[in-house]
Amino acid sequence: MTGHAAKAQEVFQATLREAALRAAHDQPPKDRLWFFRDARWRCLIVAEQGLQAESGHLEGTEIAPHAAAQIGHLHPEQLAVWISAAPDPQRSALAAYYLDEFSLREMLTLLEVKAGELSVLVSSGRRQFQAWLDATTPHYEDEA
Amino acid sequence: MSVFRLSRREKALTRIAPITEKPHTDRRMRIAILRAKRRTVTATQFAHQQAFDRAVSALVQAIPVSTEIADWFRNEKLIPQKKRSWKKAARNPVVLSIALALAVIAGVFVLGVMERMSDFPGSKTARKLLTVAASTRGNQLDPVQTEAGALSDFFFMKFRLEHYDVPPEFAALQTAGCRVFDDEEAGRVAQISVSEKRMQFFLFPAERNVKDGKPREFEGWRYVEQEGWAGAVQMRAGVIFMACLRGEQKDLEPYVGAAKP
Repeated sequence: MTGHAAKAQEVFQATLREAALRAAHDQPPKDRLWFFRDARWRCLIVAEQGLQAESGHLEGTEIAPHAAAQIGHLHPEQLAVWISAAPDPQRSALAAYYLDEFSLREMLTLLEVKAGELSVLVSSGRRQFQAWLDATTPHYEDEA
Repeated sequence: MSVFRLSRREKALTRIAPITEKPHTDRRMRIAILRAKRRTVTATQFAHQQAFDRAVSALVQAIPVSTEIADWFRNEKLIPQKKRSWKKAARNPVVLSIALALAVIAGVFVLGVMERMSDFPGSKTARKLLTVAASTRGNQLDPVQTEAGALSDFFFMKFRLEHYDVPPEFAALQTAGCRVFDDEEAGRVAQISVSEKRMQFFLFPAERNVKDGKPREFEGWRYVEQEGWAGAVQMRAGVIFMACLRGEQKDLEPYVGAAKP
């Protein structure tokens, strides 16, 4: 979400502090989604303060059969930076979806979107990421 | 339209299909995935999408986490997992169906046990005769106007039926008609109708023990109920007497006093 480890840690600690404070006032977070929801908003606030990605329309392409091999060439940090540069709510949608931690219902609650909107956000992100992959990590037939 | 054809909504759902299998996946999502996998056109695209998603998810899992944060997550109770409430589980159609089926089975079982508990020798025949009472019309009986107790001699003299005696509790009631007929199960049955409460009496041979041929006895008054009719039954000298009327057991209780239920 932030694309920066130090900022992520800062957000994490702030969320934990808030949870501890609520627990001290006999109002502990009611469920686990509270942590993610709180962290999400803090990430968005932190991201607004730093260097902003250029706004513009990214072209998308069909998912390639060799996409998994292309992704295999990436470093995790590259993916983190790519996702953190996406506009919200697409950024939050991609982060929540690829964490592979939530059910659909939980994701819809967390992101406050409908299933159709989430589907559009994730699928367009997927196509754009494929286009970016094709540009940065081209695949050649002899790699297969 | 093919049953495997994907609707727009299902196409949207397949685009956000779970990357790994999760235990509580929504039913509509499961159907959408199944249909996407079954159709040749969508199956390939869906397979590419899943491979893509798995690769990205694996990369996400590989994002380094600082030791400080990792230490927090070693405590498994840091973030409470939402447990499935019993209310939600009870609303599950499968659970509801099982509960309903169990309730019906339990009901049938309890009914069977209760019937068994109230059974006595001759109760089956008594119930059958209640249905006879329900279907009997007045013109099927020979008109006889006398006290019910006086018919014992009539049955003996005319039909050679011994001990076909109406008990003292009902002997004083005025009769309207009577008849004697043969029944496959009950044998020779004497049927009497009385004016009071359109009551009917039945006299028939008691069940006999297969080993020694002696009548199977029971003490006092017993009750049977069948299709809105109730009967009070007593056995004396190898003959069963049943007084019955359209109603319930409580309608007969005043006649037999403190009879055994």
